[in-house]
Amino acid sequence: MAAVDIAVPGGNRALTPISPPKRRLSWQTWGVIMLAPYVLVFLVFVLYPVSYGLWLARHPASYQTLFDDPVFFRTVVNTIVFLLVAVNVKFMLALFLSGFFVHERAWIRWLSVIFIIPWAVPAIPTIFSIRFMLNPEWGLINSVIFRLTAQDGPNWLNNPSLALTMAMVVHIWKALPFWTLILMAGRLAIPRELYEASSVDGASAWQKFKFVTWPSIRTLYLTSTLLSMIWTLGDFNSVYLLTGGGPADLTHVLATLGIRYIRLDQVDQAMATIVVALPFVLPLVYFMMKRLSTNE
Amino acid sequence: MLRLLGALALAAAFIAPATAQETLVVYWTKGFYPQEDKALDDMIAKFQQKTGVKVELSRYSPQESVPKAVAALDSGTPPDVAYGDVFDFQVAGKWAYEGQLEDLSDILAPMKDKFMPNTLETTYLLNDKTKKRAYYAFPTKRQTMHIQYWKDMLAEAGYKESDLPKDWKAYWDFWCDKAQPGYRKKTGKRIYSVGSPMGVDSSDSFFSYLTFMDAYNVKLVDDNGKLLVDRPEAKKGLVASMHDYVDTIGKGCTPPSAVNWKDPDNNVNFHNKQIMMTHNATISIASKWLDDSNNDKLTPEQRAEAKKNYYELIATGAFPNKPDGKPMQYRQAVKVGVIFAGAKNKKRAKEFVQFMMQDENLTPYVEGALGRWYPVTKAGVAREFWTNDPHRKIVHAQFSAGVVNFEFTKNYKFTILNNENVWAKAMNRVAAEKWPVEKAVDEMIARIKQVAG
Amino acid sequence: MNRYWREARLWLVAIPVLLWTLLPIYHIFLFSISTKDSAFSGALWPDHPTLRNFGTVFRQEHFYLHHFWEQIWNSLWIACAVGVLTLFIATCAAFAISRIKVRGGRTVMNAALFTYFIPAAFLAVPMYKAMGTYGLLNSRWSLVLAMVTLASPYAIWVLKQASDKLPWELDEAARIDGATPLQLFRLVYLPLMTPSLVAIGTYALLLAWNEYLYAFLLLSHENTIPLAVGLGHFLASDDSPWELLMATALIYAAPPAAIYYAFRRYMVGGLTAGAVKS
Repeated sequence: MAAVDIAVPGGNRALTPISPPKRRLSWQTWGVIMLAPYVLVFLVFVLYPVSYGLWLARHPASYQTLFDDPVFFRTVVNTIVFLLVAVNVKFMLALFLSGFFVHERAWIRWLSVIFIIPWAVPAIPTIFSIRFMLNPEWGLINSVIFRLTAQDGPNWLNNPSLALTMAMVVHIWKALPFWTLILMAGRLAIPRELYEASSVDGASAWQKFKFVTWPSIRTLYLTSTLLSMIWTLGDFNSVYLLTGGGPADLTHVLATLGIRYIRLDQVDQAMATIVVALPFVLPLVYFMMKRLSTNE
Repeated sequence: MLRLLGALALAAAFIAPATAQETLVVYWTKGFYPQEDKALDDMIAKFQQKTGVKVELSRYSPQESVPKAVAALDSGTPPDVAYGDVFDFQVAGKWAYEGQLEDLSDILAPMKDKFMPNTLETTYLLNDKTKKRAYYAFPTKRQTMHIQYWKDMLAEAGYKESDLPKDWKAYWDFWCDKAQPGYRKKTGKRIYSVGSPMGVDSSDSFFSYLTFMDAYNVKLVDDNGKLLVDRPEAKKGLVASMHDYVDTIGKGCTPPSAVNWKDPDNNVNFHNKQIMMTHNATISIASKWLDDSNNDKLTPEQRAEAKKNYYELIATGAFPNKPDGKPMQYRQAVKVGVIFAGAKNKKRAKEFVQFMMQDENLTPYVEGALGRWYPVTKAGVAREFWTNDPHRKIVHAQFSAGVVNFEFTKNYKFTILNNENVWAKAMNRVAAEKWPVEKAVDEMIARIKQVAG
Repeated sequence: MNRYWREARLWLVAIPVLLWTLLPIYHIFLFSISTKDSAFSGALWPDHPTLRNFGTVFRQEHFYLHHFWEQIWNSLWIACAVGVLTLFIATCAAFAISRIKVRGGRTVMNAALFTYFIPAAFLAVPMYKAMGTYGLLNSRWSLVLAMVTLASPYAIWVLKQASDKLPWELDEAARIDGATPLQLFRLVYLPLMTPSLVAIGTYALLLAWNEYLYAFLLLSHENTIPLAVGLGHFLASDDSPWELLMATALIYAAPPAAIYYAFRRYMVGGLTAGAVKS
């Protein structure tokens, strides 16, 4: 246990060897000890559950039953629509709003503080609030519509397509602040001089965006979109708390479908649902990990 | 030092269980009102006092009772005694078939005579492991379908109770074509007349639909559990009853959100006077007001209003006559609890069930629900409780006229169909997705054959 | 003229953003101060605003509120436990990976990242079954440990990034002086990392307080559930006490909002730091 054998940052400088007193542990050993709690957590609460889960999903029969279930196909379609539409709309809005929020005004800064609220507060209160607002019979929205037009408002939560759209709206409402923040940080990292130089050259706002902003944040935008797709795949709250899976299980997404099977005491199928989603999730995860690792 | 500590810990681990108190793990379903829960708590207190066994009670909402029991089963630590309002609908037959339940014949067979006809028999289930039937669950209470409506809303629409037609078609058309427009015109409020539960995630929806199906005299299975759905008269009846059921939402007399209602939701809408009438599988709607009228946490005005609602403004009624003119035939669901074969303390569990089945314990428990549940015992049924009240009188009359059982008592696979709620799925195909009724019923029949054939 | 037009354009964006952001929040508030009748009438402001609902909640007077105080205590206990444990585990791990450069640190970091990227909802079912096997279902520890598992990866990563920015001269000086790793950790590392630690502790705490899915899967006893699950149970009631639900919801939503606002400087900096690098 020679104390000299330590990876020294900066490489080549040698340290004076310190011969450790008898009961001193080496740095590496301390490293292992300090890493241990997390490794333990990982083994017990990630590795074992995931392995157990995969083991539960081993019967081909579960997959057959899953594909036979009419709900499954609809769920997959819903999930794909949710991912493509919600994530992209969200990011376009985030891109736009990030441009708005970087303006230097005191009142805009205050607005940005308020803007974070949807992300900061818990999901249940807010999604229930939206759910009640959208109740077709006595909700706020339809009551206002009725007062203004004497017509019944749309059946927000019970028309399957509208309900799924509302779930996407809820998702965007909740997630938009976080991604706006990220893109804002990206924009703020762009040196001021580039903008000033382009102004001198007579560039319009659109040209500034196209030639200065976009190239600098393009990577951030794309990486964030990918990450958001992974997380949106797992967005349980938006659908479950708003529609519960919707009329007749018509607005389920993969994340909520697993839980539905648990309710029906079909755990194997719950696991099968998750496994089925993995071929989409894992490549994205791998890609994200590579991106972040290369930035070490 | 460390060694000493280790030795002490080891010793403690051995001594502790020996001196620990004996416990009984019980899972139950949360009632709709405090009085129901209190009645169970009282009974458990009595049991604890009598036997010295500590009862660990966990209460779950009706929709959670199955997943929680299943989770416990799967992890190898099932409760000793479990009761769920929906066990009979969803799992009892299945669990018995799979051999997961303890045979209770030794405690139930001796008590056979205290039960009303057609109640204990529903727990005589098939165990595929032993290939024999036995008593695998204990019956506690039962429910059937009732109609509840607001007398005052009816009056405001310009009608009296005597105006309610007795014929099937006329009855439903009355609510839709006369009562709703009358009320809306008079008060300007956007309410609906018929609260038909249609949510997939509810038991009310299939209980109600199957009642409609009974009105058309459709038999889905014979006494041996064999499917009869392929018969042309069965299909005709299914299409006709499905058509009648979804007719009201199509005509705009049922709230659009009914397609997503869970079990409490038709109650909720009724209490808020957003619907004029509903068919419900218990009289929990009326009983809630009875409970409120005795609730000292409410203001005196609220209690008085509750009393008025219960005694004067809400009516429990019978279904109209069947389309063929004969009086309506109702179906009952007997609520059961189970003891799991893998339970740790089966001996005490059986003692608990025996204790509960004694009249002096079972009756207060059933009556604590204020009429929501009807007894399964002869002693329970004979009580004045059932004749001295305007709502409970009707319930008593319905049961006394004779009721039939659900299909899953003959063919346990119907519990699976109820679980996925093929009935509500078909309703939603028509109501939400605008399919023709025939097509939805065909899909439903195909699924029935796939699962239960 | 041009300047006014530019300001007007900003306002044109600001107003819808404000409405969009605040409408659901306002709605919670609206219901919580309404009586039952006016809540259902779809009014924009109640006829008789009242604080009675909050009284009912605090006095636990409704059937579904009988365990309110217990549940809010559970939420608090679980959130704090998660915050503390995550902080402990992540700080130690980040120190080991970043400062000590322990062998295998890279692998652990990748494993952590993997856990971070996999959607939590996908891990829920396996976690639920595993907790069943461990016999932890219905114990608050199951939720605490599950949330720690979910919060740690991101925590470790952020702390590692922040830690990498600290000057190495301090470490070298400490080693030359004969310091042990523990002393370096305690006397140099922790004080310098404090802002990030605050951010991460807050992050983990809020994650646990706001959690619904795991709480609802892993806990179900009326006494162990946190307030989030208790709120969900309201939907099973048959008298639609939505004004009480919203009052409770407001109480439940207030701490995270308050904590976020108190610590927002740390939060924003700490949490977006990693992202911008790409």
